[in-house]
Amino acid sequence: MKRTLPLFALLIALQPMPTQAASPEKVDFQLQIRPILTEYCLNCHGPNEKKRKGKLRLDTADGPEGAFTKRKDDPAVIIPGNPDDSEFYYRITVDDPDELMPPPEKSKKMLTKEQIELLRRWIEQGAAFEKHWAFMTPKQPALPKVSKADWPRNEIDRFILARLDKEGLTPSPEADRRTLIRRVTLDLTGLPPTPEQVDAFVNDKSANAYEKLVDRLLNSSRYGEHMGRYWLDVARYADTHGLHLDNYREIWPYRDWVIKAFNANLPFDRFVTDQMAGDLLPKPTLDQLVATGFNRSHITTNEGGSIAEEVRVRNVVDRVNTTGTVFLALTFECSRCHDHKYDPISQKEFYQLFAFFNSLDGNAMDGNRKDPAPVASVASPEQKKQLADIEQQLAGVRKKISADLAKVSYTDPGPDAKPAREPVETVWINDAVPQGAREEGTWQWVGGPDNPVFAGMLAAKRTAKGMSQHVFTGAAPALTVEGNDTLFAHVYLDPKNPPKQIMLQWNDGTWEHRAYWGGNHINWGKNGTPSRRHMGKLPETGKWVRLEVPASQVGLSKKKPINGWAFTQFDGTVYWDKAGTVGKPEIRFRSLLAWTNYLSRKGNQKAAPPNVVKAAKLRPTKRNAAQKKLLREHFLQHIHADTSPRFKPLQDQVAKLEDQAKKTRSGFVTTLIWKELAKPRPAYFLKRGQYDLPDKEAGPLTRDVLQALPAFPKDSPRNRLGLAQWLLDPDHPLTSRVTVNRFWQQVFGMGIVKTTENFGGQGELPSHPGLMDWLAVQFIDDGWDVKKLVKRLVTSATYRQSSRITPALFERDPENRLFARGPRFRLDAEVLRDQALAVSGLLVEKIGGPGVKPPQPDGLWFAVGYSGSNTVRFKQDTGPDKVYRRSLYTFWKRTSPPPQMNTFDAPSREECSVRRERTNTPLQALLLMNDPQYVEAARHLAQLAMTKASRSPESRAAYIFERAAARAPDKDDLANLLSAYRVQLASYKAAPEDAEKLIAVGESKPNPALDATELAAWTMVANLVLNLDEVITRK
Amino acid sequence: MDPAAEYIQQMTRRHFFRQGSLGLGVPALASLMGNSVQAATPTGGLPGLPHFAPKAKRAIWLFMAGAPAQMDMFDYKPKMAAMFDKDLPESVRMGQRLTTMTSGQKRFPLAPSIYKFKQHGKSGAHVSELLPHLATTVDDMAIIKTMYTEAINHDPAITFITTGRQLPGWASMGGWLGYGLGTANQDLPAFVVMTSTWTGRKQAQALFNRLWGAGFLPSKYQGIALRSKGDPVLFLSNPPGVNSKNRRNMLDALAKMNAHQFEVAGDPETRARIAQYEMAFRMQTSVPELTDLSKEPKHVLDMYGPDVKKPGTFSQHCLLARRMAERGVRFVQVFHRGWDQHNNLPKDLPNQCRDIDQAAAALIKDLKQRDLLKDTLVIWGGEFGRTIYCQGKLTRTTYGRDHHPRCFTFWMAGGGVKGGVVHGETDDFSYNIATDPVHIRDLNATVLHCLGINHKKLTFDVQGVNLRLAGFGVEANVVKPILA
Repeated sequence: MKRTLPLFALLIALQPMPTQAASPEKVDFQLQIRPILTEYCLNCHGPNEKKRKGKLRLDTADGPEGAFTKRKDDPAVIIPGNPDDSEFYYRITVDDPDELMPPPEKSKKMLTKEQIELLRRWIEQGAAFEKHWAFMTPKQPALPKVSKADWPRNEIDRFILARLDKEGLTPSPEADRRTLIRRVTLDLTGLPPTPEQVDAFVNDKSANAYEKLVDRLLNSSRYGEHMGRYWLDVARYADTHGLHLDNYREIWPYRDWVIKAFNANLPFDRFVTDQMAGDLLPKPTLDQLVATGFNRSHITTNEGGSIAEEVRVRNVVDRVNTTGTVFLALTFECSRCHDHKYDPISQKEFYQLFAFFNSLDGNAMDGNRKDPAPVASVASPEQKKQLADIEQQLAGVRKKISADLAKVSYTDPGPDAKPAREPVETVWINDAVPQGAREEGTWQWVGGPDNPVFAGMLAAKRTAKGMSQHVFTGAAPALTVEGNDTLFAHVYLDPKNPPKQIMLQWNDGTWEHRAYWGGNHINWGKNGTPSRRHMGKLPETGKWVRLEVPASQVGLSKKKPINGWAFTQFDGTVYWDKAGTVGKPEIRFRSLLAWTNYLSRKGNQKAAPPNVVKAAKLRPTKRNAAQKKLLREHFLQHIHADTSPRFKPLQDQVAKLEDQAKKTRSGFVTTLIWKELAKPRPAYFLKRGQYDLPDKEAGPLTRDVLQALPAFPKDSPRNRLGLAQWLLDPDHPLTSRVTVNRFWQQVFGMGIVKTTENFGGQGELPSHPGLMDWLAVQFIDDGWDVKKLVKRLVTSATYRQSSRITPALFERDPENRLFARGPRFRLDAEVLRDQALAVSGLLVEKIGGPGVKPPQPDGLWFAVGYSGSNTVRFKQDTGPDKVYRRSLYTFWKRTSPPPQMNTFDAPSREECSVRRERTNTPLQALLLMNDPQYVEAARHLAQLAMTKASRSPESRAAYIFERAAARAPDKDDLANLLSAYRVQLASYKAAPEDAEKLIAVGESKPNPALDATELAAWTMVANLVLNLDEVITRK
Repeated sequence: MDPAAEYIQQMTRRHFFRQGSLGLGVPALASLMGNSVQAATPTGGLPGLPHFAPKAKRAIWLFMAGAPAQMDMFDYKPKMAAMFDKDLPESVRMGQRLTTMTSGQKRFPLAPSIYKFKQHGKSGAHVSELLPHLATTVDDMAIIKTMYTEAINHDPAITFITTGRQLPGWASMGGWLGYGLGTANQDLPAFVVMTSTWTGRKQAQALFNRLWGAGFLPSKYQGIALRSKGDPVLFLSNPPGVNSKNRRNMLDALAKMNAHQFEVAGDPETRARIAQYEMAFRMQTSVPELTDLSKEPKHVLDMYGPDVKKPGTFSQHCLLARRMAERGVRFVQVFHRGWDQHNNLPKDLPNQCRDIDQAAAALIKDLKQRDLLKDTLVIWGGEFGRTIYCQGKLTRTTYGRDHHPRCFTFWMAGGGVKGGVVHGETDDFSYNIATDPVHIRDLNATVLHCLGINHKKLTFDVQGVNLRLAGFGVEANVVKPILA
């Protein structure tokens, strides 16, 4: 409806007026006729069969009901070349209101005289119907001739200038360098340039200084974050499900994939293919699977009482609509319930596309889980590093085991060497306390030859007067002690200084398990009970003696494993060594042959690895070298009664590392991906779009694409991969145009087609059709190279123009559709916040990871949240890593988006969005002035000025201004800043407590070296600067 | 996108340009800050609206989120008493869609309301004992017993009634009103939303920002949530240590520097921004003045009941709604949650009713005594109704009720509607509509009508389709019999 200044009117108005004498100007069907037909006729005479009146369609010449087709008893409605005999012309000019078209009683507006005259001329000239421009494959036009050959820097400028020539307009001069670097840095990275970068560019005298700058920006990691952020609007990315409970959803690895893809300049065709059909590619990489999250990032529900099929259909419809908007810029939504009124999208075709997205192998309802299947596990960079570390350590330990094995000289005593039943000793303490143990009392480990050592390298020595001990607790894993086990330790009493008593104590939660030898000097527990059991006299001095204590005598059982052990003495010098438990006897081998025989026949085969058992079962002559080695090494390492204990500590290390690796893996994040059902789910025509009205009589639909567009490629599979191949076919008229237009919109503020989301009949026409087609074809020829395209846009002379608006130019072209000046618009929500963090030095540039929760006012989530939702209460994150990150990492709760974002027109991410509006409201002013994070940024900017600039107020004011605006303040600016500073300073000098309050705002502490009143005054000045129109605008 | 607004904006831009090109300096600009700036930011709204003389200039919607049980409050069903625990006849249910919460139930036993009903007022409308205060205002109310909807779960249903579609993305009623009619008070938002506390079960259905969102309309038309904790409007207060003088000084410098920037760069948007900062400054005064209840006399406070002094209560929100009506706020929506009584309804419902009964009645009376009721439309109701059959355990003293979209009760009072009217009848089971069905789109069309809007003509072009609040796809009908 109602556009005040429809583009086609502008275009017509700008066409040279036909002179009386010359033959009338050729009427342009695309620009002049189709818009009239669409607006006035097609509602009743268009593609929608049900709405069609009088069996006539005016969107096509041919077909049974076409405009040129002879009617039953009458001639065709339009007779080319002959308006006066055409029923069509008669009906739009007749006086009789019953016959007049459009019907006066129904229509809001009637055709104007000019429109009728255009239609007449069109019929006179042959009434050529052309396919809608956007459905015709673009051809790269020749570059137009222009007036000023020296202005264009690249092809874009030829098209722009040719049009300006036609309008009698001239381009604006090039913007100054400071403006230019700020503009292009903001456009390519979403962040402002630093003063150093500005100076470097301003002083770079080389001819390609600007191109070097652009290359630097394209190679910055910030580029991928910024470009990715636009795509996240498209992909309706968020961190919650969006409906009902609106619980947490884990899909941020998809967000990080998008960033990575832009930074790596993944060609756009692969970018699309991976997202549409990564799972269908041969041997998809994890990245390609993560990319398929694109079709999973729509809103979902798990509301109690919902009907799964209804929800499922809704999910699929969202995918179809999103595909339509993003790649085709066509409005599919209407065709869910009926044929499209204006564009050639039938309801049946809607469901044929629906069929591509119909077979997700997962539930329709999200289960209120963060990871509704199908999902993939993804390691974070930290986890990847952790895992690599563990793997490295494991490799080291395994190498040591191999080396030690190689050193064992083993000769088989022969198969007759009978295995003996021997008690199994578990050594818990030898040369060190066990894993996880916390030591108490100072452990003094001593080695030979000056000291006696029983086993290993060291013994624990203690010299005491009275009672003394060394202890540990908290060993993990704790040691299980069976009721029949015996605890043991080795002790050496110094003959020169023997103790009066020695005692062992065990902790299974309490210390009430003690055994002692010698006198009864230590007064713990109750004598004659497990809490103080006398085991005999002191052992012989000057030699190692093994002490043994049956577990049952000191009250230990397997119910409570022990985690601590104390070695206690009264007087004297005592050495302790190798301690542990002895379990019940097991069969112990010393012969490999005997063990192999045993294992192959009856041994506990489950306890050995399958490949070992398999090797053992072979006849010795059939074993190959590797199998022989395997058996030998397994035997020496795990079985041999004498050699295996040596490997126990190493094996423990392996087990521990493997456990750590497992834990790390289980901490991997999940991300929603696509997995196709093994057997596709049939898709039916849904009558009236109702999930419960499938047209089963008509049978399942074949997956197919719109008839009005190129046919589905013959050799492509009928699945999403084929669909992607169809979208990316060089003959496809839409994908490349739509994409190029979106990038254009990003840097020029408005698309060549203003309606980025709609290239159909009701969308706007391109302002520069030739340019649009040239860019679209070139993009494909360049291998869908996004950086190359972006570079072409920002290095054009068109882009580099000054954005100054003159009244004359504004009158002529208020929206800047002709690009006679550079683009000028308010920064997006994310860029505003990121800019404030950047110029104040707060920004933490860290790529990726889970969504972060910088501060927001209390209670926003709670005010709307479902009581049982896991996102009902907002809990702010702390620490610079979370609080000062770029805004694209801010946790996005769909039912209550971050106020810093949606106040500045960020979409809610509830559905696909390809164009943001730019409003200008008092709430935005309040936010920029008062949001604590912006206030904190102002204070940090003030602190920088007070520490980096010289002391004079002039230089400090200039510093603040220049960091934010990328230029030095002029005389007026400086005067205003200084006068504001003086007033604020006087105010804070009068009320220093207010100064303290202001500078305390935020997550960080103010710099204590700075005078509080001055800092407060400069904070207000910085707050002023961060609110300047110039600063919140990219000009 | 927004042709009329764009047109107006362009006109003012041009106007300003002429001034600008004459060298509008800072002193001139400062003098513009008073009235002329307001002229540069008109009250908004579309030309030609209202379409006809409105009966109501503003509206207040008391939204009962979760779906109140109509047969326990307004829809009196005396025959049910004799049918306790009998099965709902199949002839009544007619195989109709149920939520999956009760579709698996073996039986559908009837659960008569345990609350007593009496007739009230001249109209003799039935009201249950749970609503003694609203019983005294029935002669000001048009009660519609025959509301219906298609949606059967909360999220789609509440999105449907507030925006006209079951899925996110459409504009809410308040958004449409601001877009169509503009604002009557420059210093306050045109559309204010309050979310109240409640005393029923804590496990309450969620609300969503989209329920008061702008949808496809420009985002400035979204409802502004008036909060009961912290700043009533987000970021309204100056930071600690910044007083009004500090702010004024900063804004003066800002205006001068922006005006200077405008002279250099010539972007009309700059001038609009200067005006927005001034409005922000005025809001810093007007909003606290609005929410300051200290000057309300005791007898008025008493009318709204004891909760009125507790921030965030429905009671206080009703009083604030009245204050906004006085100040010309176009549309106020109060969301009261906790009405989703799937089980043990008698434990919850009396509390819920106590939350809203006195305050809603007081709002009507208070508006009336200030002569504001005649041009303020008050609307009460939720997203659907509840079933007469029991969900869960049924005894003589307890029962639960599932979602029921086929009939439920709304009432309206004030500007544009007749008082003392009961519209439509349901069957003996409060299950089906017997006469005069009113779809939620009809209700929305009726609200627009009361505000002087032809719902067919208030449209917005989205991707070539004229979208509207009421009657997209299926035509909506204004409920004429209840109109004054």
